[in-house]
Amino acid sequence: MFISRTHLVEVFLTKLIFNLKSEASKTYLSYAWWLLEPALLVAVLYVVFAIFLSRGGPHFIVFLVCGKIPFLWFSKSITNSSRSIIAGRGLINQAAIPKLFFPMLVVFQDAFKQVIVFAFMFVFILYFGTGISWVWVSVVFVILTQFLLICAVSMVVSAITPFLPDFKYLVATAMMALMLGSGIFYSYKDVILPRHQRLFLLNPLANLIKNYRQVLMEHTLPDWAALGGICLFSLVLIAVMTIYFRKTDTIYARLVAQ
Amino acid sequence: MSTDVMELSNVSVRYKSRKSFFRHDYFTALDDISFTIRKGETLGVIGPNGCGKSTLLKVLSNIYGVDEGVVKWNCRRVSLLSLALGFDVELTGRENAVISGMLLGGRKRDILRKLPEIIVFSELEEFIDKPTKTYSNGMRSRLGFSVALTMQAELILIDEVLGVGDGRFRQKAEEAMSRKIQSDQTIVLVSHSMGQIRDLCDRVLWLHHGKLKMIDTPDKVLRDYNHFINS
Repeated sequence: MFISRTHLVEVFLTKLIFNLKSEASKTYLSYAWWLLEPALLVAVLYVVFAIFLSRGGPHFIVFLVCGKIPFLWFSKSITNSSRSIIAGRGLINQAAIPKLFFPMLVVFQDAFKQVIVFAFMFVFILYFGTGISWVWVSVVFVILTQFLLICAVSMVVSAITPFLPDFKYLVATAMMALMLGSGIFYSYKDVILPRHQRLFLLNPLANLIKNYRQVLMEHTLPDWAALGGICLFSLVLIAVMTIYFRKTDTIYARLVAQ
Repeated sequence: MSTDVMELSNVSVRYKSRKSFFRHDYFTALDDISFTIRKGETLGVIGPNGCGKSTLLKVLSNIYGVDEGVVKWNCRRVSLLSLALGFDVELTGRENAVISGMLLGGRKRDILRKLPEIIVFSELEEFIDKPTKTYSNGMRSRLGFSVALTMQAELILIDEVLGVGDGRFRQKAEEAMSRKIQSDQTIVLVSHSMGQIRDLCDRVLWLHHGKLKMIDTPDKVLRDYNHFINS
């Protein structure tokens, strides 16, 4: 009401840049952690599955990267945004800022870092993978679909946590379940029974990971119908949550102050 | 055209706190409050601690919604003056001044234009590009106050922030804020200092246990308030 839309966008972008800088200045290796953290996590999975358990085959490291990197983006964005309104309580109690500002700030912060991670991921796959083809261009649509899904789910979890602080534990459990159930370190085609595979792919993250691999490793265009379905689902959820936040905006300040 | 920038009709605000899994306690912070704020006036708000003064400012600034009643704004920009709003200790004084000014309602280009003035007023010239985690509390308050002083809004809400810092800076800050309050700006000022209320306000609103006890000229309200406190 008191801040124009242009002003809000200006505040959002300035805060986004400052938050990225602030986050990086808290550690010795600064911005390098944006790449080091996912690289280390992929390395751990590789050591466990490819070396100790002798699983995977040729290009297993690329297979892991195509699963783990998109999962990490999803998981970090959702976990961070679930706490975003509570973490912003200082600001919320001093200025009339739309509450959607807080989860969206987290989502865009993580998305900005992810652009750099993806750039390195593509170079990595180019070097260790199965080559490059024009099909790679279509990965942009997979990334955008995932971004929409992250926006939608972030809005939902950020709206619930201030009412139900215990929800953060469920988010953590859900992320663990998603890590195990999205085919990050196994191929669903080899592990899941054929009659259950369609059910498995109803998990949007599993479907997205399948599409990343399809494009980047198999040089096949993504499953447009699946991407369209996830986009539609996300857009409907975004619309519903935007209306919800508009109607309940002033509730949150008292909720996080109590 | 109305000369009231804001109208409150029968406004009530309740806080809910959890006692056990299903049981909650309710506390009424504002109870059936009605009044208007006139354009260009300085309205003082007095009352003992816990009487609902800060809650009232949060309702006026649209940070809190109301449980009952109606708040009608006849102005577009209302800002609650907060020191060091949105400060991040990892950022420099300059960066914090920019983001804090923007969160207080300023446009980036205006804040960048006013930045030299902010730096001079805060007396932080040599420290302004250092992270604020290296500042003392006093330095942070000086910067926060200097930013808040440049804030422009149709209605400014002030909650006990007339003076900060050490003796000399405090006097300078009080004088600067008093000048701002005495201008044509519409202001709601919460203060425990009866001297400030008497000197700066056109009308005074007295809150007691969340209810509006009285709203009138400073002389009348302060006389009755003092009588009430001393009786």
